Amino acid sequence: MVSFILRRILVSILILIAASFLMYMLVAYSSDPLANLRSSSSPNKDRLIADLVSRLQLDVPPPLRWGLWLGGAAKCLIPFANSCDLGSTISNAQVTDILPQALLSTVQLVTLALILAIVFGIMIGIVTALRQYSGLDNTVTFISFFLYSLPAFLVAVLLKEFIAIGFNNFLRDPVVSWFWILLIGIVVGAIWQSLIGGEARRRLIVFAISGAGTAVLIWLMSATGWFEKPGIGPVGMVVLIAAIAIGATALMAGLQNRKALITAGINAVIAIASYFAMQPLFAISSIGTLIILGIVALIVGLVSGYLVGGYDRGQNLRVGAVTAVLSSALILVDRAMQAWPTYLGDVNNRPIATIGSSTPNLGGDVWVTGIDSFTHLALPTVALLLISFASYTRYSRAGLLEVMNQDYIRTARAKGLPERTVVIRHAFRNMLIPLTTLVAFDVGALLGGAIITERVFGIPGMGNLFSSALGPGDINPVMGYFLVIAAMAILFNFLADLAYASLDPRVRVR
Amino acid sequence: MRIKQRTVRSAVSAVAIAGIAALALAACTTSGNAPQSTAAQGGKVTVAVVNDFTSFNNQTPQANLDTNGQVGYLDGSYGTGFQYIDNNYKIVHDDKFGTFKKVSDNPMTVKYTLNKDDKWSDGQPVTADDMVLAWAIASGHYDDATIDPGTGKVTTGTQYFSIAASTAGIDATAYPTVGDNNTSITLVYSTPYVDWELVNPIAQPAHIVAKKAGLSSAADLTKLLKGLPKGDPAKPVAPNATLLKAAAFVNTGYDVTAFPTDKDLLVASGPFVVSSWTPGQSLTMVRNKYYAGGLKPNVDTIVFRFIGDANAQVTALQNGEVDIINPQASADTLNALKNTGATVLAGDQASYDHLDLTFSQSGVFSDKAVRQAFLKTIPRQQILDSIVTPVNPKAKVLNSQIFLPNQSEYAASVKGNGSSAYDKVDIAGAKALLAGKTPTVTLMYNTKNPNRVDEFQAIQASATQAGFKIVDAGSPDWSKKLGDGTYDAVLFGWISPGAGTSALPQIFGPVGSGGNYNNYGGTGKLAVSTQTMTNPSDVVKAENQIDKQTFTDAYGLPLFQLPGIFGVSTNVTGVKYMGNQNGPFWNFWEWSVKKATK
Amino acid sequence: MTIDNTPIVADEAVVPEKAPESEGRLILRRFLGNKFAVASIVIVILIIAFSISAIGIGPIPGWWKYGFKALNPQVNAGNPTISLVPQWLGGKGISLGDHPFGQDRIGKDYFAMVMRGIQNSALVMVVLGGIASFVGVVVGAIAGYFRGVIDAILMRITDVFIVIPALVIGSVVGHWVGGLGAPLLAIMLGFFSWMGIARLVRGEFLSLREREFVEAARVAGASDRRIIFKHILPNAIGVVIVSSTLIMATAILLETALSFLGYGIQAPDVSLGGLISSNESAFQTRPWLFWWPGFFIVTLALLVNFVGDGLRDAFDPRHRRFKLRAMREQIPEPAEEAKL
Repeated sequence: MVSFILRRILVSILILIAASFLMYMLVAYSSDPLANLRSSSSPNKDRLIADLVSRLQLDVPPPLRWGLWLGGAAKCLIPFANSCDLGSTISNAQVTDILPQALLSTVQLVTLALILAIVFGIMIGIVTALRQYSGLDNTVTFISFFLYSLPAFLVAVLLKEFIAIGFNNFLRDPVVSWFWILLIGIVVGAIWQSLIGGEARRRLIVFAISGAGTAVLIWLMSATGWFEKPGIGPVGMVVLIAAIAIGATALMAGLQNRKALITAGINAVIAIASYFAMQPLFAISSIGTLIILGIVALIVGLVSGYLVGGYDRGQNLRVGAVTAVLSSALILVDRAMQAWPTYLGDVNNRPIATIGSSTPNLGGDVWVTGIDSFTHLALPTVALLLISFASYTRYSRAGLLEVMNQDYIRTARAKGLPERTVVIRHAFRNMLIPLTTLVAFDVGALLGGAIITERVFGIPGMGNLFSSALGPGDINPVMGYFLVIAAMAILFNFLADLAYASLDPRVRVR
Repeated sequence: MRIKQRTVRSAVSAVAIAGIAALALAACTTSGNAPQSTAAQGGKVTVAVVNDFTSFNNQTPQANLDTNGQVGYLDGSYGTGFQYIDNNYKIVHDDKFGTFKKVSDNPMTVKYTLNKDDKWSDGQPVTADDMVLAWAIASGHYDDATIDPGTGKVTTGTQYFSIAASTAGIDATAYPTVGDNNTSITLVYSTPYVDWELVNPIAQPAHIVAKKAGLSSAADLTKLLKGLPKGDPAKPVAPNATLLKAAAFVNTGYDVTAFPTDKDLLVASGPFVVSSWTPGQSLTMVRNKYYAGGLKPNVDTIVFRFIGDANAQVTALQNGEVDIINPQASADTLNALKNTGATVLAGDQASYDHLDLTFSQSGVFSDKAVRQAFLKTIPRQQILDSIVTPVNPKAKVLNSQIFLPNQSEYAASVKGNGSSAYDKVDIAGAKALLAGKTPTVTLMYNTKNPNRVDEFQAIQASATQAGFKIVDAGSPDWSKKLGDGTYDAVLFGWISPGAGTSALPQIFGPVGSGGNYNNYGGTGKLAVSTQTMTNPSDVVKAENQIDKQTFTDAYGLPLFQLPGIFGVSTNVTGVKYMGNQNGPFWNFWEWSVKKATK
Repeated sequence: MTIDNTPIVADEAVVPEKAPESEGRLILRRFLGNKFAVASIVIVILIIAFSISAIGIGPIPGWWKYGFKALNPQVNAGNPTISLVPQWLGGKGISLGDHPFGQDRIGKDYFAMVMRGIQNSALVMVVLGGIASFVGVVVGAIAGYFRGVIDAILMRITDVFIVIPALVIGSVVGHWVGGLGAPLLAIMLGFFSWMGIARLVRGEFLSLREREFVEAARVAGASDRRIIFKHILPNAIGVVIVSSTLIMATAILLETALSFLGYGIQAPDVSLGGLISSNESAFQTRPWLFWWPGFFIVTLALLVNFVGDGLRDAFDPRHRRFKLRAMREQIPEPAEEAKL
């Protein structure tokens, strides 16, 4: 294992060096950092050109300049010496100074998009596979191909025009018209009936109930000014937490499993109790508090699952943890909603942002800044995740269909296991195996996509750094960008291999 | 029983964990109370700019960028102080900050006197020490370096302050005389300097620079400067270590990649000081409470938001995230802004596109008749109508190589410069001049600039009718080829400085001047002589003469000024159009916010 | 988990077992049975043929009266003159008018520009896909067939290219040759897009070369070249066709993204991506400048994706729509570093 990792690292470094040479030559020979100065009418143009030439060593031929750059970059490998030298930009900023800030923004954006794309992609993939060739399946298939064929910046622009500006305009007078209430009701009803399935009569009932329920809910929200002062409220919280507990049990253990139901129930009760008890603490919370509370919730879930025991402790632990964590998340959402009116006041009632990753000079507590991050990152994240969401849906659907045709699934069914157990415990894990490889490739695509998303949404990340530096031929930031991106691509490939090996017992790393 | 034991043990450890968690929780809470808004109160204006901020000193070669300059304009390190330039490119004196006037023509002598109340934003008074430092930086007085033009490296001697601007003009001054209880300096020019009125001896705070150089006070720095001899590249002397330290701080010490922890960098003499900066996102400036000059702002806070994508600026204005934008001008942007109810200010930028012909012995344009014939085919009105008019319906074809239409000298110059010969496309006239010849013209332009591409296509279509063969020499690398003789004509843009004449000897100077890519020698002497004129009317006369000469020689044609637009949210009033690099910021003190944004 | 590909050998030395008709015909029949994919490919070809016939290609003129570079006087303030609402519905009748798609700001005919954009997108698609497939097949075949040191070297070279995301290398290449015309841009981008195919082909070769029919050919004294091209490659052709189709779909989007960043096909030539990104500001005021090219980009990319999907079904009917084996071959290392 150790020798495998060492070999991989060595090979990776050699690959990085070769790729950096390729990149450096392409950039150096394709761009001219002096172009702007050459066409200037400044009286001391020659002096300015000479100054830039000497600062960026433009008089050294590119292959040699690459050598100099590599020498500086190699110092990054010396641990703790802090002697990294990636050169400076045209405006004399050290690349090592600007890179970390940019990296943080991008990692935040890409990680969020990646996780959401994987979670939603797999969920929808599973659902469509289980309802193969249904209306839902065909619709989702078409939509995912359609998303796959949309240029990234088109999506970004449309999101800004319609979602951001449209939603903010809606908030000026937040009354949902009857047309929209009906439309949303019909769409939601259609989705539910397709999900539940069954014969025509049952579908029709599901459609009517879910559609009407949704429509009434939206009408109520609209009529009570919920969009200005959103919140779930104590009753809503109790109902929703109970739903989480029952849902988690039903999905993971089956409702007939008493032990699991008890675990989920305990966690739901604790969650409801802490919802009421914790409000004063939330008012003075910092981000650290919330992280600790999250960890405590996880521990409580696991401990309660363990204490309840039963023949399948592992399952109990999972049910407990999932119930606890999801309920806590719901409590956080409710608390954040309480800060929403304050936030609306801070941003002149136009919450959804089109630019940047935070409102300048916004004070306020963790809830207000949290909402601020959400309203700024929501659209870019959606724009980015749509790039890869489609492929996760397609691959997980195909993967599950493939797995479901395998002999061991037939065996499991023949044993009389319920369909839920077959899917969740036998098929799911095996379906994930090929997806690990997709994740590694997808990270590269997302990082590339971030170039466009960051530009459209004005987020000061790596992509922005790259595209704004490449134009004027500012080679050092471009190379700094390359270094980080390439290292990440290699790292994720490596992680994918490890994940592959851990999921697939037939693969062993030597 | 066993189970019970285990349960007890688990319970104990659960309690322990809970205790630790509670402790950690207590450590991680904020002192805050009920949620309430802490957003800025009072007048705040948010302006979208394209580039990020990189330095508090925008006068160095590496930091001479638009956003740095605008921040400098607001904090008084550049462009404001004794004077500023208004939207008609006139120099306006700010007598409340200090006065300056020419006291003698021979030798040219200019005296600057500060207002007694002028203070830096840290409360220290602004004194003659600060002016002496600014003079030392701008004049290059102490430099004795010889610089290798090829590599830009200093071969002998020392280069102290490195500045983006040229030292030409100010380098002819001797060490200034300090007077009036250390609040005035007098500069004596050994040769007259035409643009003396643009010299502004306020830049970095001397007490901060002195501190960074290891001196105890601004007066010590002045003493040091006074004692040092004028530099002479022919006889370099050993560098002065203290001045070198001071220069190093001024040159690169102000370059930043994050909001500085060293508050000394923020000290400014202007109406605003930088109060926070999130790289890549926004920069906030608040009022300088010590400011005593005449540019007293109405608003409390000005926020710069960095938005690189021009279209994103428009959406941000529509969404209320910014109040003022200066996007790329297009009819579509204009209409989109109008539709959302924003105020749209349209005007001309200080830069203009022009067509230049190459004068060389062997080239197709060595014959004046061919030059004239070619210029007669240029469809200037058509180009204007397609590129500029949709944005600015009042725009007219630019008819002067020297002046811009909103300068008072423009009308008179146009009347006499002979530009009327090229008012209309005259295919018949061009054919007559060509007398049956079909010259081949290689026309270069920047393919990455859509305006130039459109100009090229229009010119090609028109000139072909007169019998010219136009070779498309468009290239993204056009700037490398400037002046290399591979083309006969070129389309590109100059940025007119508006005020000042420093570009004259560059563009219209003798063959070989930095910006004379045409090999044109018709106005060389005259253009150089403008730099030492003392009487403004002489300068105008010379400029008129250059303007006329270029048309007589069929030097080329100015085409149009680029249109510019500002979008202003209805909340903000007082914004006026300005075409130079300061853009909307030029009259920031006149801005006001209608209703205070909460 | 092997694939039920029966070997197809050109010289009929081995007759496919249990197959009344050849594999190739079978696949073709399966593909033709997929109405959706067939319709897609027909529409793609029609769109491209329409664009070529409309404004011509090279020196050959088309039937449309305006060129994509010619300046025309503004008609109807640049609004589209196309009318699709028949008179009996209260419209102006079905007619094209002078400038069916409208005009840009200097009066160029937008229909001609969009047609030119389609031509260029098709060019980028075909050239990029062709070059990437060719290089990929050659590299992958050599690496997979010869294994050992050659394989190691070629795969390390592939890794060098693959660590840079497509859009990044595309931007740099576009920055370099974007101004030199669409064909060169397409060719250069092709030379930086072959890595995926190379890995797939290598994977196929690694497994196919161990099969009996290859052994038989080798015993019969066939040269390496003959084995690679006549015996193994025809069996791996499914992977190549499917993935080069999918590369073509991404090629359209890649060019669009590059145009948005300013590194795509440069004016005065036209690309669909360039048209949308240069008219982004027209989104609210003259939406047709935005939607016509946008419509064709999405349509082309969508249809080509459908074709690729249909081909995948045809080549591999057992794994309806998706070929997991091929995907699994994409992992870079396990083939040597990890043991199956």
